[in-house]
Amino acid sequence: MNQISNPPPLALEGAAAQGATVSLARVTGVRSRRVTGALVLATIVLLAATLEIVIDGAVGHSPLIPKSPQIAGWLSGVGERLGFRVFLIALLADIAAYALFLSLIGSVPRRLAIVLVAALNMIVFAGPILFSTDVFSYIAYARMGASHGLNPYLHGPFTIHSDPVYKYVGSDWVRVPTAYGPIYTLITYPLGLLGLAGALWGMKLLALAASAGTLWLTWRCAAKRALDPRFALFAVGANPLYVTYALGGAHNDLIMLLFMMVGVTFALQERDASAASAIIAGAFIKATVGVLWPFMLASRRTLGTVGGALGAAALCALAGYLAFGVHGVDLVAALNRDAALVSTDSFPTEIAHLFGKPGVFPVDHVMLKAGLVLVAVHMLWRTWRGYDWVAASGWALLAISVTSTWLLAWYILWPLPLAVVSRDRRLLIATFAVQALFVIHQTSPLFAPVS
Amino acid sequence: MSRPAVTDASPRWPAWLAPLASERPGRGDLRRAETTILVLIGLFLLVATINDTVRKIDTNHRLIADLHTWRTITGHDYRNLSVEQDLKGYSTREIVCGNTRPGPPGEHVQICLVMTGPVVHGLRSTHGGYYLPPRAQDLPRNRYGCFGAAASGGFCGPTGVTAKPKSLSYEGE
Repeated sequence: MNQISNPPPLALEGAAAQGATVSLARVTGVRSRRVTGALVLATIVLLAATLEIVIDGAVGHSPLIPKSPQIAGWLSGVGERLGFRVFLIALLADIAAYALFLSLIGSVPRRLAIVLVAALNMIVFAGPILFSTDVFSYIAYARMGASHGLNPYLHGPFTIHSDPVYKYVGSDWVRVPTAYGPIYTLITYPLGLLGLAGALWGMKLLALAASAGTLWLTWRCAAKRALDPRFALFAVGANPLYVTYALGGAHNDLIMLLFMMVGVTFALQERDASAASAIIAGAFIKATVGVLWPFMLASRRTLGTVGGALGAAALCALAGYLAFGVHGVDLVAALNRDAALVSTDSFPTEIAHLFGKPGVFPVDHVMLKAGLVLVAVHMLWRTWRGYDWVAASGWALLAISVTSTWLLAWYILWPLPLAVVSRDRRLLIATFAVQALFVIHQTSPLFAPVS
Repeated sequence: MSRPAVTDASPRWPAWLAPLASERPGRGDLRRAETTILVLIGLFLLVATINDTVRKIDTNHRLIADLHTWRTITGHDYRNLSVEQDLKGYSTREIVCGNTRPGPPGEHVQICLVMTGPVVHGLRSTHGGYYLPPRAQDLPRNRYGCFGAAASGGFCGPTGVTAKPKSLSYEGE
C-alpha cells in the first residue's frame, strides 16, 4: 500500500533540535504542498478526461459510441464527435491521473476519495451509452419476455425485429439467444415494460446501484482485513476501465461483481451459508462468478458453504426452470458458446499473431482450457494449504480473462475488487499489468488514425 | 516447523483436515517460483501485445493508403468508403468500395478497387476492380464489370466478367 508517513522524530538536544524541527517542518511543508498540488492536478485531470469522453460521446455519430436513443441530448450541443485520438488521449490522461492519485492515496482524506469516486460514477451515469451495444441486447431480451411473450433462451432479438430496441442491438447478436443467467433475465423483465428510454435509464440506474454496492462492500472488506479502504475504494471505483467501459456501457458484470462482494463480505464475517448463497446466486446472474465457490469451500470447509450453495442453486434453478424451461438453467451451454468466440483484443489472438498464425484454432482452445485448469488446480491446492481464498479466486478470474479468446475491457475488471482486498499484493500488480496491456493494445489509432 | 493455527469454523474436522487460518510458513521457494513464472508470462504477454499493436499500426497505415489510393484514382473525395480485408487468406490484399456519385453509403452504384503490395509514397498498387449495384452486398453474384486482374482473378465468377444486371440503371461509369 502506498502511504506517505511522517518522518521519524529525531533525537536531538537544544538549538540543534530546534533547528532540526524548523528544517523538518519546512521539508514537510514543501512536501505537503507538492502532494496537495499533485492531488489537485490528478483530480482535475480525472474529472476533465471523464467529462471529455462523456460530453463528446453525447454528440454520437462516432465509431466508438453505439447508435442509441437520445438519452443524453442535453449534453449534445457542448462537445464534438468523439474520435479515436481524442478518446485515447483522454483515456491515457485518465490512467496517468489515476495512478498518481493512487500513489498518494495515503494523504487523501476519506471524504475526498469518496466524493471523487461518486463524481466520476455520476458523470458517466448522466451521459450516453459508451462503447458497447450490450445494454440493448439486455433490453431486447427483457422485452422479448415481458412484452412479446418469447423465451430469450430459445430465440435471439431478431424475433422482435419490429420492436424499437431491435435497431440498436449489435448486428453480431441479433440471432443469438441470451447467455446471461436466469436471475438476471428475471430482474430485467420489469425494465422491459418501461419503454426503450425508460428501460435504458433503468439499466443505467441498475448498473450505478450495483457499482455503489460493490464499492461500499469493497471498502468494508478492506477495512475488515486491516487494509486501507481508501485505496480499495479508489482502485476499483475510479479505475478508468471500470468507469468508462463497465459503468459507461451499463454492463451486467457490475451486478455480478456486487453478488461477488456480498459473498466475500459474508465470508469474512464467517457467515458461510450466506456467503455461498450469494456466490451461487451471482452465478445465476453471470456464470463466471461461480468460480469463487470451490476456493471458498477449500478454505472454509464448513457445511454452511455446501448447504448455502445447494440451497441457492436449487432456488435459482427452480426459478429459472419455471420461467424459461430447461434452457434457462443450462449455464454450461451458454459458457461453452461464448468460449468459442474470438475477439481481436484477446491475448490468445495476440499470441497467435506473434507466431504468425492468422488467429486462434480449435486446438488452441483446448490448450487454453488445459492451462486454465492447471491454474485452478494449483490455486485450489494452495488454498487447501491455507492460502487466501479471496486471492486464489482473483487469480482464477484473472486467468479466465487472460486465456479467454473473447476479451472485453470489462472482463479484466472481474478480479479487481478481490485484488484490492486480498492478502497477496501480486494479484493487484498482475491485474493492473493485464489492464495496462489491454490499453496498450487499444492505442494503434493514436499512431495511425484511419479516417 | 509448527502447523499454522486452524480456524474455529469447523471444530468437528480432524486436525489434518481442518481449515487453516494461514499458510504453512516455508522457505519461500514456492512463492519465488510462482513470481518467476508470473514475470515470465507477463513479459511474454508484453511482447505479444507490442507485436500485435505494431501490426495493427501497420495495418492502419495500409488502410489509410488504400483510402487515399481510391480517392486519387476515382477523383472522388468521399469519406464513406468500405474496406474489406483478406481475413481468410491472411494476405495484405484489400478491396475498397465507394459510391460512383455523391450520396449515402451504398445508395448508388459502387466501384470497388483491389489493392495489393506495399505502401509507396502513401499509395498502393491497384490491379483491377469491379462494380456493385446500389444497396447490394459485396458478394460474387452481385459483382459485374470486372476489369484488370480482378477479371482474371475470379472476382466476378468463373467467366471473369459478369454481365450487368438488367434491372439496374447505371450511374457515373
